[in-house]
Amino acid sequence: MTALYINDEEVTVTPGTSILEACRENGAEVPYFCYHPELSVAANCRMCLVEIEGWNKPAASCCTPVAEGMKVRTQTEALEKDREMMMEYLLIHHPLDCPVCDQGGACKLQDYAVEHGASHGRYAEMKRAVVDHDLGPFVSTCMTRCIHCTRCVRFADEVAGTGDMGVLDRGDHMRIDGIVEDCLSSELSGNLSDICPVGALLDKPSHDVSRPWEVTRHKSTCTQCPQGCDITIESRGDEVIRIRPEKDGMEPWICDRGRYVYDAFRSEQRILEPKVRESGGLVAASWDDAIGRAVELMKGKRVGIVFSPDWSVEGLTSIRLLNDAVFEGAKVAFDLHRRDMRSFAFEEGLAMTTQQIEDSGQVVILGSDLRQRLPVLMQRLRKRINAGKPVSRIGAMNYRTNTEPTKDSLIRPRDWSAVIAFAMQQVSGLGKTAAGMDAWMAGVEGRHEAGKLLADALMDDSCALLVGEEIRSHEDAAALIYGLDLLMRACGHAEAGKDGRNLISEGMNPQLLSSVFGDVRTSAGELFDAASNGELDVLLLIGSDPQGDGLFSVQAKQAMDKVPLVQVGAISGQISEYAEVQLPAAAYSEVEGSFVNMEGRIRVAENPLSSLGAERPLWKVMMRLIQDMGGDIPAVNLDELRAHVIRFAPQMEHAWRSSDELMITAARNNTATHASSTKAPSRSLDLISRYSMYREGAWVRASDLLSEAGCLHALDDVLVHPNTLAGAEGERVVRTSSGEQSVHVGSREDVVPGVLFVAKRGVAGDLSSESEVDFVGGAA
Amino acid sequence: MIPSDPQKVTGICFDHVDVPNQNSLAVARKNGAYAFLPTVLKEFDADKIIDEVKTSGLRGRGGAGFPTGLKWSFVPRNTGKPTYLLCNADEGEPGTFKDRDIMRFDPHLLIEGMIMAGFALDVKDAYIYIRGEFLHEANVMNEAIREAYAANLLGENILGTDYSMDLTVHRGAGAYICGEETALIESLEGRPGRPRFKPPFPAVEGFYGCPTVVNNVETLATVPAILEHGGAWHAAIGVPNNTGFKIFSVSGHVNKPGNYEVPMGTTMRTLIEDYCGGLQHGTVPKAIIPGGSSSAWLMAEHYDVPLTFDDLIKAGSMLGSGAIIVMDETADLVALTRRLAHFYAHESCGQCTPCREGTGWLERVMNRVETGHGCEADLKVLKEASEHMAGRTICALADGAAAPILSLLEHFPDELRSRMAQSHQEEQSA
Ligand SMILES: Cc1cc2nc3c(=O)[nH]c(=O)nc-3n(C[C@H](O)[C@H](O)[C@H](O)COP(=O)(O)O)c2cc1C
Ligand code: SF4
Ligand code: SF4
Ligand code: SF4
Ligand code: FES
Repeated sequence: MTALYINDEEVTVTPGTSILEACRENGAEVPYFCYHPELSVAANCRMCLVEIEGWNKPAASCCTPVAEGMKVRTQTEALEKDREMMMEYLLIHHPLDCPVCDQGGACKLQDYAVEHGASHGRYAEMKRAVVDHDLGPFVSTCMTRCIHCTRCVRFADEVAGTGDMGVLDRGDHMRIDGIVEDCLSSELSGNLSDICPVGALLDKPSHDVSRPWEVTRHKSTCTQCPQGCDITIESRGDEVIRIRPEKDGMEPWICDRGRYVYDAFRSEQRILEPKVRESGGLVAASWDDAIGRAVELMKGKRVGIVFSPDWSVEGLTSIRLLNDAVFEGAKVAFDLHRRDMRSFAFEEGLAMTTQQIEDSGQVVILGSDLRQRLPVLMQRLRKRINAGKPVSRIGAMNYRTNTEPTKDSLIRPRDWSAVIAFAMQQVSGLGKTAAGMDAWMAGVEGRHEAGKLLADALMDDSCALLVGEEIRSHEDAAALIYGLDLLMRACGHAEAGKDGRNLISEGMNPQLLSSVFGDVRTSAGELFDAASNGELDVLLLIGSDPQGDGLFSVQAKQAMDKVPLVQVGAISGQISEYAEVQLPAAAYSEVEGSFVNMEGRIRVAENPLSSLGAERPLWKVMMRLIQDMGGDIPAVNLDELRAHVIRFAPQMEHAWRSSDELMITAARNNTATHASSTKAPSRSLDLISRYSMYREGAWVRASDLLSEAGCLHALDDVLVHPNTLAGAEGERVVRTSSGEQSVHVGSREDVVPGVLFVAKRGVAGDLSSESEVDFVGGAA
Repeated sequence: MIPSDPQKVTGICFDHVDVPNQNSLAVARKNGAYAFLPTVLKEFDADKIIDEVKTSGLRGRGGAGFPTGLKWSFVPRNTGKPTYLLCNADEGEPGTFKDRDIMRFDPHLLIEGMIMAGFALDVKDAYIYIRGEFLHEANVMNEAIREAYAANLLGENILGTDYSMDLTVHRGAGAYICGEETALIESLEGRPGRPRFKPPFPAVEGFYGCPTVVNNVETLATVPAILEHGGAWHAAIGVPNNTGFKIFSVSGHVNKPGNYEVPMGTTMRTLIEDYCGGLQHGTVPKAIIPGGSSSAWLMAEHYDVPLTFDDLIKAGSMLGSGAIIVMDETADLVALTRRLAHFYAHESCGQCTPCREGTGWLERVMNRVETGHGCEADLKVLKEASEHMAGRTICALADGAAAPILSLLEHFPDELRSRMAQSHQEEQSA
């Protein structure tokens, strides 16, 4: 540790700390603009000057490391004059238009001008004129206000990895420019308006809408992906103005999906009142009538329940209570992406925290478009790569990561078992093995050398596997996951404290869902088939949109053609065409409730926004249904409900009692020992469908902002490797298990040969349901 | 050949500058070029070379006067990373034109110095970053390098030894700031020339994050003589702590402007009167810029100052690059300052607040004042805006930009005021 004096007070800090950080840690106020704890040091604003005894001139504290015995002063007359001058330099070209600037009231420049600036400026020359830029749907610019701190540039380079902000020219002509006009290509672009210390980069959707002092802040959890970021929802009355990262949250950034989905809260797609179908259309009804209709449809019937995993823990548990109270034995499904329902050796959820993943010796991404799936985790990995730590990846597509992985290997989904077997062969050659590994290996015929990449990483002291959708949605997922489990155990990455087996979940609350629904869940595909085959009489859909999302859209539509639909949810969506009844449930911003993210971190929201309409928290809707279906109401308040949560998931016991940060762990199944399938593929192409953060999920599809971004980031409907296409891009006929269909096919080297990559799930016909296809007429 | 008796030496870098065709390898060799190189490569080692250079007292000729041997000794060894040697041939400081003559007339002297420095620092790749406008000089350098490669003086196993070094000329694109060593490094890496903050210093983390030595052309061109004749020989020339010869580029109101290589410690008066043929008008200069446009001005009272790093600091200025701009009584110092303000505003890289905004502000005020539209309050603005730039930025460009204005304000405030009065008279008579 280094000891130094800040304003005569002795403090100790880690060696190498900058003076500015030492001051921040020890409560000595030093003004700054360009410094940002998450970005590299630029040292250009010169606002952070301090005096150091023995130095003949003031030093920029952000870029001067502490030294033993150093005597630092942060408050002197000379420094005050320096700060006054810095403010004067910064303001000579500034438009001074605080009254019309969104940043006003939350602006460093304004604050420091008051605190350190002179009462008037002396600049009497021409002012600089600069042009604004069109930076896409999320960021608006007013570049006359820019103070050239380059935070945005460093953000684009280091955090987003896109490098699409830059500095052009020099001297006082120097200007910040978006290199790619019209579209900031980062999924984190919304953070730019937060990171800009002044009103130069502003949030476009909320531009000219409100002032910082008008809004109320609600601490909440984003449920738009399993990351479950800590967010602050800023509202004026019941109107959501913005969503931002929670200041003291786990992550400094949130993604555009989680940030801009808020316009779905007020969209036409919201279900804000109960509705029933009358002569073809859905019309508003009273709660009593709508519940009555639902009961009529479901009472004494064989019901299939499909729900979204993104409800609060309390909401999800109430679904289970409904099932137990009045639909005993009903088919229940929630995962629209899992084909293989055998239990997994390691179930959904991460074994590690994102921090542990960032710090791990090795990270291997197995079959995941992580930038789209988990943009914030991807950002952590980018940070890791920038720090020189390895990240390897195996998968079917060269998914864009905006910072190249250290090692990369493209494989077809049918090769996964050969990849794992090859890795087993490698590690057992180095003396690492686990009971069952030889047998598993022996059951696989092929070997794929991409396994070397996996084996190399496994030989490290610590290794985080990030098992993604390509494996999770695989028809042989349980066997592949068991294979990976064997590998991890063989190499010592499965013991408590070192567990690196992370299975990325499809939605929120994965660990809780394993506990609450482990014994009753079935595959969504099977459930829809059952409905189509006359084994079910009615479908109860709770927040789920199997038509727009997931792998079973064909089956879902067939099922809904056959049986009536009762829809409970917050977003109506295209699927409402089928609904006989709609019951409004409150959005995640509107409930008091708990959420578990993929790491197992529990968050309790206590300060919800008020409801916009007649919607009720999901658990109340469920209790009402139980009551009207003639069951005994299991809980009349949140406390009673939470007692039920604990009954199903004992790990939640302290969730509402302790103020400590609580983590629950993902399930492990020692008995899930599955041999790799020996079934030969029947078609020439494997099919992978893309998850787009701007399209996936009912909430997101209801957001105009995200839809607009989705259009800007769109790919061709269906992509294959040029060699696979063997011919011109354009309309091609593909044969699937359910017949032939024509699709528009483009080509890209990024797709591994032998794979058909569906870039627009749900949009490009219903191909996503398939896992294998052939091109008709035209060899692959 | 340079005499081994320090008393008899008449020049070091410029000893052969007038020899016709000295730029060709054959002629240079006839005059002793590369003669001592085999001895250095075969009999010297890094420590010996660095010790000799330390003993020589050589201080950097690029502007800051930092002891060269000490700089070399800061380079960490065995880091597992390559060490780079970069020759700063950007020569952008207004008034400076000495490196240019070394390169166009005696390029092999620089090459030899770089091989020796490279050998001492275990450099595999060395670069000469040359000012973009020096097209002819770059061509001459490249031709000399080609000849040196052909003669096995560069490239693999130089002169049959284990030592190999490549030397590449890189042309800048006309930015003054790229003469600042860390901006030079950025530029050479292919990025905009914006200085880096220090620490880390280039010796530890420079070109591509590797240990890097940046030296001026004249500094490197002095090395062969030091190694051949010994550090003590060099230390015996000039005055203590300010040893050897120094090239002064003299311009302005003198009768014979040009480059003069004289021993350190020669007085300003001697240089101007005896070498440069005296002033064009009058007997004492009105003002002298002693070390390039970024140095503070000296007045007539300093006419006898010995030209050394230390004496010029004592006189309130600096030796800088040795570019002496002499102004006699006919000089319009307001116009001169305005022109320099324009230069710095144009050349500021723009990253630091005070330099970016300050240089432009100063230029605009100077424009106004020069054209007779100033007022008394401008004097305070000029002073404060200059004072709070200097010493508060990433690089020293801001100090350089402040120097002329502060000098003008200190020594010639009335010249400024008379401009204001002039305009008022004009307005009244109009
Ligand atoms: C704005 C600025 C411009 C500079 N330009 C040059 C230059 O053109 N040539 C040069 O040799 N040094 C220049 N320097 C000095 C270099 O940064 C550096 O100190 C020098 O190259 C070191 O070499 P030396 O130790 O041999 O003097 C400049 C410095 C500043 C701050
Ligand atoms: S736009 Fe904002 S963040 Fe970017 S340089 Fe300007 S002030 Fe800094
Ligand atoms: S990363 Fe996921 S949880 Fe975080 S803001 Fe984005 S969608 Fe929401
Ligand atoms: S002082 Fe001027 S030239 Fe030097 S780094 Fe700062 S802005 Fe650039
Ligand atoms: S915070 Fe130190 S220079 Fe900007």
